[in-house]
Amino acid sequence: MKSQGKAYDVVVIGAGNGGLTAAIRVLQAGRSCLVLEKHNLPGGFATSFRRGRFEFEASLHELNDFGSPEEPGDIRTLFRELGVEDKIGWIRIPDAYHLITTDKQYDCEMPFGLQAFTDKMEELVPGSRPSVTAFFELCDEVRAAQTYSMEVNGHTDSEYMKKHFPNFLRAGSYSVNEVLDALKMPKKAQDILGAYWCYLGVDLDRMSFLHYGSMVIRYITRDAWMPKMRSHEISLALETRIRELGGDIWYHSPAAHILTDEAGAITGVSLTDGQVIPTHHVIANMAPHVVFGSMLDKKAVTPQITRATNARTFAGRGFSLFLGLNKSAEELGIKSHNYFIYDTADTVKQYNSMRRVDTNHVQATVCLNNAYPACSPEGTCMMYFTTLIMSDDWSRVSQSEYFKMKDRVADDMIRVFERETGCQIRDAIEEIAVASPTTYARYCGHPEGTIYGYETAGWDSLMPRMMMIAEDAALCPGLRFAGGFAMRSSGYSSAYVSGDLSGRQTVGDLKKEGR
Amino acid sequence: MKFKKQLFGFMDMLRFTKLVPNRRAALAAGADTPLPETWAVNEQARALHPGRMQVELTEVTPLTPRMAELVFRRVDGDAFPFFRAGQYVSLQGKVGDSVISRPYSIASSPRQALQNRLVLGVENAGFFSQYLTQEAKPGDRFVMTEPSGEFHYETLRDKKHIVGVAGGSGITPLLSMAQSALEGDEPYQMTLFYGARRAEDLAFRKELDALSEKGLKVIYVLSDEERPGYEHGFVSGELLSKYVPVQDVTYFLCGPKAMYEYLAGQMAPWHLPVKAVHKDATCCPSLSMDNPRTFTLTVHIRDKVFTVPAREDETLLTAMERAGIEAPNKCRAGGCGYCHSKWLGGDFQVAEGRDGRREADRKFGFVHPCVTYPLSDMELDVPPAE
Ligand SMILES: Cc1cc2nc3c(=O)[nH]c(=O)nc-3n(C[C@H](O)[C@H](O)[C@H](O)COP(=O)(O)OP(=O)(O)OC[C@H]3O[C@@H](n4cnc5c(N)ncnc54)[C@H](O)[C@@H]3O)c2cc1C
Ligand code: FES
Repeated sequence: MKSQGKAYDVVVIGAGNGGLTAAIRVLQAGRSCLVLEKHNLPGGFATSFRRGRFEFEASLHELNDFGSPEEPGDIRTLFRELGVEDKIGWIRIPDAYHLITTDKQYDCEMPFGLQAFTDKMEELVPGSRPSVTAFFELCDEVRAAQTYSMEVNGHTDSEYMKKHFPNFLRAGSYSVNEVLDALKMPKKAQDILGAYWCYLGVDLDRMSFLHYGSMVIRYITRDAWMPKMRSHEISLALETRIRELGGDIWYHSPAAHILTDEAGAITGVSLTDGQVIPTHHVIANMAPHVVFGSMLDKKAVTPQITRATNARTFAGRGFSLFLGLNKSAEELGIKSHNYFIYDTADTVKQYNSMRRVDTNHVQATVCLNNAYPACSPEGTCMMYFTTLIMSDDWSRVSQSEYFKMKDRVADDMIRVFERETGCQIRDAIEEIAVASPTTYARYCGHPEGTIYGYETAGWDSLMPRMMMIAEDAALCPGLRFAGGFAMRSSGYSSAYVSGDLSGRQTVGDLKKEGR
Repeated sequence: MKFKKQLFGFMDMLRFTKLVPNRRAALAAGADTPLPETWAVNEQARALHPGRMQVELTEVTPLTPRMAELVFRRVDGDAFPFFRAGQYVSLQGKVGDSVISRPYSIASSPRQALQNRLVLGVENAGFFSQYLTQEAKPGDRFVMTEPSGEFHYETLRDKKHIVGVAGGSGITPLLSMAQSALEGDEPYQMTLFYGARRAEDLAFRKELDALSEKGLKVIYVLSDEERPGYEHGFVSGELLSKYVPVQDVTYFLCGPKAMYEYLAGQMAPWHLPVKAVHKDATCCPSLSMDNPRTFTLTVHIRDKVFTVPAREDETLLTAMERAGIEAPNKCRAGGCGYCHSKWLGGDFQVAEGRDGRREADRKFGFVHPCVTYPLSDMELDVPPAE
C-alpha cells in the first residue's frame, strides 16, 4: 500500500452535478472534503466542447425549476444557498416546448406560465380548460407534499399527509395515463401535456403520476433558464466555490476502490496508482452497479446489496448530434428553442420503437440561438439533437462499423428534422460531432452508456424511492449516492437535488457518529 | 381544493401505502448473481478509446533525407483501436531528464490498426523527433495516446470529392485518408497534391504509387526541381484549378504554416465557405526573443508541490517537461483541451490565434499550458498525466 495521504471527513467520487453539489454542502458544514474526478474537467455531462467557431453545449437543454430572481424556483434557491447563483450569467428560455408528432400531425408551441399554458391548450383543444386546470391543481398538491417529504428526509407522518395532502395520497399510486383518463382530459390535451415524457424517459403508462406531475408543474410554472457560457459555466462556478470553501479537487484521479475494515466499515478510497485517502464517508456520483460491482471491497458487498442492485433497470442510453451551421436560425427558418419530435403521440408505442436503434426516430432538439442569439458568431447557429435508446441495442455495433453507424443515426436525425419542420439545414453544416452510448460510457463510465440513471417506472418510481432514502442508505453505512443514478433520478435539477440531499445527510451522519 | 374523491376508488389510500413494501419486495427479489463488472458498450468504449497505450517500436526506415518511418505494435492489448483516418496520436518518451511527448498524425490506415500495426512518418524537426529518427531502435518502448483529433472526413458535412494538399511531412494523415477510402471505410474520392522541394524529399512514394494504381489521383509538385511528370513550383490556385472543380470539393490541408498562409491567399478569390477548408493543427512553437527572462512556476499536482523555472519564450508545458514533470497534453496546439489546468496566480499570454479555451475557462481562470507563456512568476494546479 502506498503513501497514506491526508484524511478527509468525506471523499466525493465524481465531479458531476451531483458530486459538486454534495461537496459544497459538506464544506459549508465545516467538514473537510476531497473530490476525485477521473476527467480533467468538472461537470461530467455538464460541460461544453469547442469545434471551430462554435462552443457546443454537451447536454443541457434548459435548467428547469429555476425561475426568475424575484420568483425563484427550487434550483435557483439551491444555487443561492450554495453561493453560485451570482457567479453565473443567466438567460431565460423563451418558451416551454414545440411538440411535433408525425402520426397526428401535431405542431404545438407551448408557452411557460400556468395561465398562458392553459390558455394555449384551450385554443388548441377547446374544452380542455377544466381538466387541465384540475391537473395542475393536483400537481400543485404533489409538489407541496414532496417538499414536505424532503423536509423531513422521507420520514413522513401519515396523519399529517392524510390531513394536508389527501389527493396526493389518493392519486399517488397511479400512472400518468390513469390519472389523465380519470380527469377526463381530452385525448389531444393529454398528448400535448405528455410531451415532456422523454425528458423523464418512461412511457406514461408506466410513469408514476406523482413523478410526472411534480416535474411538469415545476417546468411550466417556473420558467427555465440557461447559463450563457453553456453548462461548463455552472460546473466551473461550483468547482470555484469548492476551492473557496477550502475543499480539494483532484482531476485525472479515478477512484479505484472503496476500502473497508473487517466489519465492512469504510476506511478509505484508493486511486489507480495505489495512493490511499483515509475517510469514513464516501459520496459516489456514479452508478451503484459500478460502485458495488467493482469498487467497494467485496467483503462489504452483502447479498442484500447484490439483490437490490441487480433488481434495477437502466434507463435510456444516450445518442446526440451537434451541428454548427453557417446560417442564422432565422435564415434557416428555425423558430423554436426546443422541439420534441415524435413519430407518435402514443408514448407506449414510442417507447417500444426506441428499443431499437433502427426504429428510433425520436428527437429532443435544441437551437440555442433562439434563447441566446450570441451563443455563436453572427450569421451562424448551433443545434443539438438527442435521443434515448431504451435497450442495449447499440452494443451490437462492431468497431469497424462504429463511425458509419454514428453517421447513419445522425443522418436520420437530420432527415426527420427537415421533414417535420421544413427547415433545410444539411447544406449549412460547418461543424458536426456525434456522441453515442459508447461515447457516454467512456465519458462518465456509466453502464451501457446510460445517461438517465435507473428507470423510474413501476415499483422503482420516484415516490417510494424518496420514502426509502434512509432504508437504501442503510444497506452500506458511510456510502451515499448523488447524481443521475441516485434517488431523485436523472436530469440536471434532480442531480443537483440529490447532491444537496446526500451532502447534507452525510453531514448528519458525521454528527451522529460524533465525529 | 375541490378535487373530487370519486375520481379514484376507495382503495387508493391502501395502494399508496403499498408503494414502499412493493419496492422493498422487488429489491429483495433481485438476482443474487454477482454484479456485472463491465458491459458490452463499456468494453466497446475501452477498445475504441484505450487512453494511454504501451507500444513497441518494431521498425525504423529512412524515407527521405529528413524523414523516417516508424512502425509500432501495441503490447498491452491485441491491437490498436480502429480510428478515423486523418487523426493523430501523441507519443511519449524520456530524453535525458525530460519527459517529452509530441503529436504525430497516423500514416497507416484504420484497417491496419486492427492488425496491430500503426505507422508514423517522423520528420527530423525538433528535440523529440530527432531522437526518434536517429536514436530510437526496434524494441524500444513508448507510451502512446489513443488516436484523436478532428482533422478527418465528415460524411454529413464534406463533399464527395476531397482535395488533399500535403507539404513535407504533412503527407502522413493524407496517406491514411487515401488508403482508408480505397479500403472501403470512407466514401470519398480523393485528389492529392503533394509538394516537396525535390523528388528525393517525397516520402511514401512506394505506397502512393500503389494507391494511384487503385484509383487515387496524385499530383507531385516540386519547388526546387524540374522533372517530367511532376508539376513545378508551389501548390497554387492555378494548379488546383487545372485538376479539380475548385468550388465543388472539400479541402484537407496539412503542412507548414507558410503553406497555409500561401494557400489562403491563393484561394481567397474563390470565397469558399469556412466549412470547405480543413487544416491540420501545428504544434505551438517557442517565441523568438532576445534575452528571455526566466520566472518561477509553482505547480500543484494533487497534494504535491513543485517549483520549476519557466522561460518567457517557452510554454508552461515545456517548462514542466524540462523539469521532468509529466503534465497531460495531446495536441500541443491549444485545441484539444487535454492540458486544461487551473490558474492560481501570475501573468501570462496565450499564443496568438491558439486560444482554444472554452468561454467559461477564461472567466474562472483556467489555462491550456501548451499555448501559454509566462509573463511573471506563476502558480498552476495541474492534473497528473494519468
Ligand atoms: C446529451 C444529453 C442531454 C441531456 N439533456 C438534459 C437536459 O436537457 N436537461 C436535463 O436536466 N438533463 C439532461 N441530461 C441529463 C443530465 O446531464 C444528467 O442527468 C446529469 O448531468 C447527471 O449528473 P450526475 O451528477 O449524475 O453526473 P455525471 O454527469 O453522470 O458525472 C459523473 C462524474 O463522475 C466521474 N467518475 C465516474 N467514475 C469515476 C471514478 N471511478 N473516480 C472518479 N470519478 C469518476 C465522471 O467522470 C463524471 O464526471 C442530458 C444528458 C445528456 C448526456
Ligand atoms: S495539449 Fe491540446 S490543448 Fe493543450
